[in-house]
Amino acid sequence: MSAANRAIVAELYTWRFLKWVVAICVAIVAVFPIWWMVNVVFADPGVPVSINPRLYPTSLGSGLSKIQTILTETAYLRAYFVTIAYALLTILGMLLIGSMAAFEFALFDFPGKRILFGLVMLSLMVPTVVTIIPTYLLVADLGWLNTMQGLVVPGLASAFGLFLLVQFMRTLPREMIEAARLDGASHFKIYWYIALPLSRNAMVTLAILTFMKTWGNFAWPLIVAPKPEIYTVGQVVGLFNAPFSHQTVDVVMTANLLAVLPPLLFFLIFQRKIVEGIAMSGSKG
Amino acid sequence: MNARRLLPHYAMVLPFALLFAAFFLYPIISGFYYSFHEWNAATEPRFIGLANYEAVLQSRDFARAMTNLCIYIVITVPLGIAVALALALLVDSFTGFWANFFRSAFFLPVVLPAFLAATIWRWMYAPNFGLVNMILGWFGVPSINFLNDTGTMLYALIAVDVWVSAGFNMVILLAGLKNIPQDLYEAARLDGASRLQQVRYVTIPMLAPVLFFVVTYGFISALQVFDVPWLLTGSSFTAYGGRRSALMFPVMDMMGRAFGAVRFGEATAYGFILTFVIILFTALMFGFRAWRTPK
Repeated sequence: MSAANRAIVAELYTWRFLKWVVAICVAIVAVFPIWWMVNVVFADPGVPVSINPRLYPTSLGSGLSKIQTILTETAYLRAYFVTIAYALLTILGMLLIGSMAAFEFALFDFPGKRILFGLVMLSLMVPTVVTIIPTYLLVADLGWLNTMQGLVVPGLASAFGLFLLVQFMRTLPREMIEAARLDGASHFKIYWYIALPLSRNAMVTLAILTFMKTWGNFAWPLIVAPKPEIYTVGQVVGLFNAPFSHQTVDVVMTANLLAVLPPLLFFLIFQRKIVEGIAMSGSKG
Repeated sequence: MNARRLLPHYAMVLPFALLFAAFFLYPIISGFYYSFHEWNAATEPRFIGLANYEAVLQSRDFARAMTNLCIYIVITVPLGIAVALALALLVDSFTGFWANFFRSAFFLPVVLPAFLAATIWRWMYAPNFGLVNMILGWFGVPSINFLNDTGTMLYALIAVDVWVSAGFNMVILLAGLKNIPQDLYEAARLDGASRLQQVRYVTIPMLAPVLFFVVTYGFISALQVFDVPWLLTGSSFTAYGGRRSALMFPVMDMMGRAFGAVRFGEATAYGFILTFVIILFTALMFGFRAWRTPK
């Protein structure tokens, strides 16, 4: 083996080794804060965090009892239900309204279609900052402050959702739709029994992305639902973490951990869909 | 006859069209109207011309927020994308189980709601017992109050932001990497290109469209940054921006004017000013792309 070859082989090995070191270090940085949160919750009470840095969990029982305390003694559970309702209603409404419109935009022609669709696509470019306050004022005018409809309805006509569904429905086989029409199926039946089942993939992707987004939405509930009865998890977590909340670290971290749980479970189950969905929205842009 | 044939089409589009008109088009128009009026939601709006725009543009908070925003954007967007690209290349160099494993691990912060990332990091940054200070302590660095020291606050935010967004951009870039034909690398290798040269002369040019999306999207979301600095500073509508407004950002300022000071006209004007900046920027990016793309 010549000296030059040996140098190349050596370079190859250092690169391989280095690559693992870097990858593991980055993985630790990415995962550790979440791991640390789990450890703070599942730790023996009494030892201050400053003495025991909580690098691993030490007590399952004390963690569970903290979770129980939070769920029974604070308004956390109610916020949980509010947020789940908020997410589910948003998903259902958005999928129904969006898929109906996408069905028309993707597969049929009618006067005014281009203008309407162009307008919706243009709205993708308009940032939320410009609409958020006037939309709040409209919701207030409607008397919808602190209500579920105030949280949900303004977010239903999602331009992004429509875009995703239209892209997908364009690939549906037109022959099937024609055949159904010749068999005498009504317009709505074609949508309900043919287009919808065939678009399941895109609908599931949109549903998952919408769940993550709604669960994590902080600004909109903050302004539209400022009453404790309709606090979302985001607001409750914000209160627990506020500078003068008088809560100890482990209580706050328990609140935080409970808020991570649903999106984390979703991620573990639907990992591929989430990653594909995000990658897709990027490559189409 | 014709109308009867078209009716079902319109019926299907109607719910979306109505909601879109009510909760997107109407707010834009009404917001534009409010932006020329003095209005606190209790009295009748009073027309004051461009005074709201002037008030925003001349206020000290606006100047402060814009300065912070500029520093923040100039660092966070390139840094975030460089990190994301490095991570994408790193994951791409693994195969099978480990590729999936590292991709999932790097993506995990994206799964957290932004409000949670902010709250967790507030504890990580805490003086004395926070993990970051503890690690620095091992090396003999005295405790730093990251979120209350005007010299470090902005950088503390940037670190959180990169931590949150790197995984998101990585996934988009990874999809782009998969679309680069392998024989291009083969050819570069035969020409004697080193690994770095391959990245510079094959990967980056081939990724250009995806990078363009990631940069544009990164800028637009950075311009509207809200949740993370809001929670890192423990802000409320009456007191926001942290110590000496070191973490004051435009959207926070806008929200404060609307819901703290109850000056809706001024707040909507603020929104339009920001939108103008965003659209101007997006147009510049598209112009740049058109100029760079060979005809």
